[in-house]
Amino acid sequence: MSGAQTKPFSRAWLLDPAPASRGQARLGQAYLGWLKLARNPLAVIGLAIVVALVAMAAAAPLLATHDPLAQSLQTRLLPPLSPGHWLGTDEFGRDIWSRLVYGARVTLYIVALVTVTAPVFGLLVGVVAGYFGGWVDTLLMRLTDIFLAFPRLILALAFVAALGPGIGNAVLAIALTAWPPYARVARAETLTVRGADYIAAVRLQGAGSGRILLSHVAPMCVPSVIVRVTLDMAGIILTAAGLGFLGLGAQPPLPEWGLMISSGRKFLFEQWWVATMPGLAIFIVSLGFNLLGDGLRDVLDPRSASK
Amino acid sequence: MSALIEIENLSVTFRQRGREVRAVRDVSFSVAARESFGLVGESGSGKSTILRAICGMAPVSGGSIRIGGAPAATGRAFAARVQMVFQDPYSSLHPRRTVDATLAEPLAIHGRGDRDARVLAALGDVGLDASFRFRYPHQLSGGQRQRVAIARALMLEPEILLLDEPTSALDASVQAEALNLLSRLRVERGLTFLMVSHDLAVIDHMCDAVAVMRDGAVVERLDRATLADGGAQEPYTRQLLAASAYAAPV
Repeated sequence: MSGAQTKPFSRAWLLDPAPASRGQARLGQAYLGWLKLARNPLAVIGLAIVVALVAMAAAAPLLATHDPLAQSLQTRLLPPLSPGHWLGTDEFGRDIWSRLVYGARVTLYIVALVTVTAPVFGLLVGVVAGYFGGWVDTLLMRLTDIFLAFPRLILALAFVAALGPGIGNAVLAIALTAWPPYARVARAETLTVRGADYIAAVRLQGAGSGRILLSHVAPMCVPSVIVRVTLDMAGIILTAAGLGFLGLGAQPPLPEWGLMISSGRKFLFEQWWVATMPGLAIFIVSLGFNLLGDGLRDVLDPRSASK
Repeated sequence: MSALIEIENLSVTFRQRGREVRAVRDVSFSVAARESFGLVGESGSGKSTILRAICGMAPVSGGSIRIGGAPAATGRAFAARVQMVFQDPYSSLHPRRTVDATLAEPLAIHGRGDRDARVLAALGDVGLDASFRFRYPHQLSGGQRQRVAIARALMLEPEILLLDEPTSALDASVQAEALNLLSRLRVERGLTFLMVSHDLAVIDHMCDAVAVMRDGAVVERLDRATLADGGAQEPYTRQLLAASAYAAPV
């Protein structure tokens, strides 16, 4: 066994073809994935942007130069690069940079909440529909079709209108409209997997449907769903911003990027920076998630990884 | 109790969009405990379908399958008695689970403890050392994968092993190793084999008796001695023998 001689967590240890423990095998796989991702410069840029967003949200009190909610009517609508306000101030004299930094928290909160709800629900629906087939499949997929048939923003608008405005309800509305594509992806993946011999083998071992679905079928669908999630993330951020813009998402004075654009709209021609800065932030973060998603597709795709 | 596996007038019919295909027609045979029984025939003759029918993976339209006197079922009790080794080791192991996870799964399903020791013992039994334990299937060769598949089938210590062309996806030298491994395990553990193959040389090496199948029906039954003497009566069997004599000049 070569695992005994190599130093733990070294490169050779990670790439050892005969890992000595469960953890080493898992880390080795992750490291191989990372090497694959690192070979794609665009994906690395995407990852850097996403990591920067997380760091920004975590270190918001350190990075912000002002209180994001502190108003100062003497210093309202200062242009970028003014002393003390390098991205300028908005119509209430609030520092735009500080609001952007704290807005990263809101964006991340939305992104995190949507990713733990919609894809999980979609995955469950898709896997169950694909595995059982028959009337279960028909029922679940027609339901999915109904949700898919509505334009996403319109449906989210309807939900928020019914539930009342607010960031929590906006997230719920986005999640409710975002799950059908994941159900479709997971179902398609399940259909290719459910007839495989390794599924037949666990069934022969006496495994129940729950165990087969959760620990054998679902893991095969997760990579496609993760890729789909990162690609959709831009859309989710934009939908959240759109709801904020329409006044149905985050409520003032919360520093949410869509809301900031909405309030800057009134001065778009004279004080362009008020709407442009949050717009750029949304653009960069969306781009980051898209680039990362493209890179992850190459790493996580079961077909390319199974060689 | 003489026969462990009794199959009587078994018929399997696949129905799809109004079309019916009778893959197995009125097949009957029985396999005694600790016997090794072969099913041989060209592809599409229904031999694999019989194995799948025993495991409840094919639509049985008539006849009966009895294991040790009781009708074949699915579920845990049945799983502990009957296990199967699939044809293609490249598709029979979960690509995202390590050898360890694959072998420990049947133990987890049946709530059996002492998993670490059992997994290591199972690897040893099929001639793989402990360094294979945490590898993924794509880090193994075809022969090693099939050894893992055999180890998995034996985890629950079944009496009956259904072998669906267990070596046809392997190359010749690895094939011999795998067959010797299976023969050894059968002797050691007193297993009963029901083996499907299109290769008469493999059947001849492994089985005490053989049924020749064509178009879903059994054409002829032979025991080992008759097969070795060339005592086959049916022209189809002779044809099959002649064909495999070219392929494997033993």
